[in-house]
Amino acid sequence: MSTSSAGLAKKAGYTNVRVYLDGEPHWVKDEYPVYASNKFVATGNIVLIDLRSAAKSAAGRIPRSVSIAYDDLEDRIEDIPKKAPIVLYSDNAEEAEDGISDLRYEGFKKVSLVKGNIQGWTKSGGAIEKGPVVTDIKWIRKLGKGEVALASFNKAASGQDAGAIVLDVRTKDEVSGGKFKNAVAIPLDELGSRLSELPKDKKIYVHCTSGARADMAAQELNKNGFKASFLIANVNCEGNDCTVED
Amino acid sequence: MKRTLTKIIPFLVMASFLATGCTQENTQAAKAAKPAVEQVAKKNVYKGSVVGKSNKAKSISIKVGKGAEAKTIMVAFDDNTKGVDHATVGHASIINYEMRNGKPYATVIKPKLAKLPEGVTEIKTEDLAEMIESGKKFTLIDSRPSGRYAAGSLPTAKNITVAKMKETKGAGILPENKNELVVFFCGGPT
Repeated sequence: MSTSSAGLAKKAGYTNVRVYLDGEPHWVKDEYPVYASNKFVATGNIVLIDLRSAAKSAAGRIPRSVSIAYDDLEDRIEDIPKKAPIVLYSDNAEEAEDGISDLRYEGFKKVSLVKGNIQGWTKSGGAIEKGPVVTDIKWIRKLGKGEVALASFNKAASGQDAGAIVLDVRTKDEVSGGKFKNAVAIPLDELGSRLSELPKDKKIYVHCTSGARADMAAQELNKNGFKASFLIANVNCEGNDCTVED
Repeated sequence: MKRTLTKIIPFLVMASFLATGCTQENTQAAKAAKPAVEQVAKKNVYKGSVVGKSNKAKSISIKVGKGAEAKTIMVAFDDNTKGVDHATVGHASIINYEMRNGKPYATVIKPKLAKLPEGVTEIKTEDLAEMIESGKKFTLIDSRPSGRYAAGSLPTAKNITVAKMKETKGAGILPENKNELVVFFCGGPT
């Protein structure tokens, strides 16, 4: 962490070394803006939003930008995926910073700005794209390490994949309200003592209600030689009728 | 004040995409301290990074040990556990526990606080923001992995991961004049 680096700098002869211990999370919590690297803007799996007018966006924008003029941001908030990293820019520093504040207020956790806005982008030699503006947001979340794709999970949950089983690690109380028909239910806190109930030759897709416990369970299983992956999605069951929302 | 931060001309430093973490870089130091880790385990304490927490299942996963020695342990907690809020995913915790029916139960959870190296002082958000805004000449270094830096960092910050710092001593990024102010930060206490 930063303190190790500070120690190394000190050792290298730097005399005036300080550490911002609270770090980036605190900076964000105190509502200060953060800035994306230009490479992230160019190639990251992001939603890039041009807050300027559609006319300005059509005349020249950062490639892959979606046009949402600042005045329309509130109306289009539902169209922006909550889990996506969002990068904003404008030609006006205040507008970009209002944009980041608004989105954070709406619950977006990963919002950043283009360094120096469109002017900074151009000045650094960034590519510019022209033509009719794009207004549709097309963003697909990339699976994290150890995650199972929703389609694979659904196939197993509906009993159409003989090579995989679904493991439900919610509590007994939660399971009593309903579960997937084909799922094996073992609460997370009992998993360690009930490993023998699970097959080692099949894929195990673990779910809970959001993904936090499933992640922990999958790690535990993989440590013990199982082939487990976990589902990040909201799962709600009534009887054998379960809804899964990404 | 916050509104004017972008006045500062941003540095356009491309991230070097060498992955190493705020939380993972102490591999060598931890290996050297192996006997200490074993000693700690006997005292019914887990020290490490919290990798999972479920309030519904009342369970915390904590990664203890480093490198090849690393393992993840699931510790249960209950309403009597003190300081459950100190266990947050991605942050370092110290968990005192007791064994019940062969399973560890957390009794007291404390955050593992960062220690400043000698001669190094802390800076708080407000002072840092003011320094950036006023355009004061100093070097701000983000020690987090390059991917995190790329996704969003503080204005004017440049990226030197801890591994890179060990390797290069910050050559080319840290100021030539060693009396100039350098401020380091990462993802908060880990």
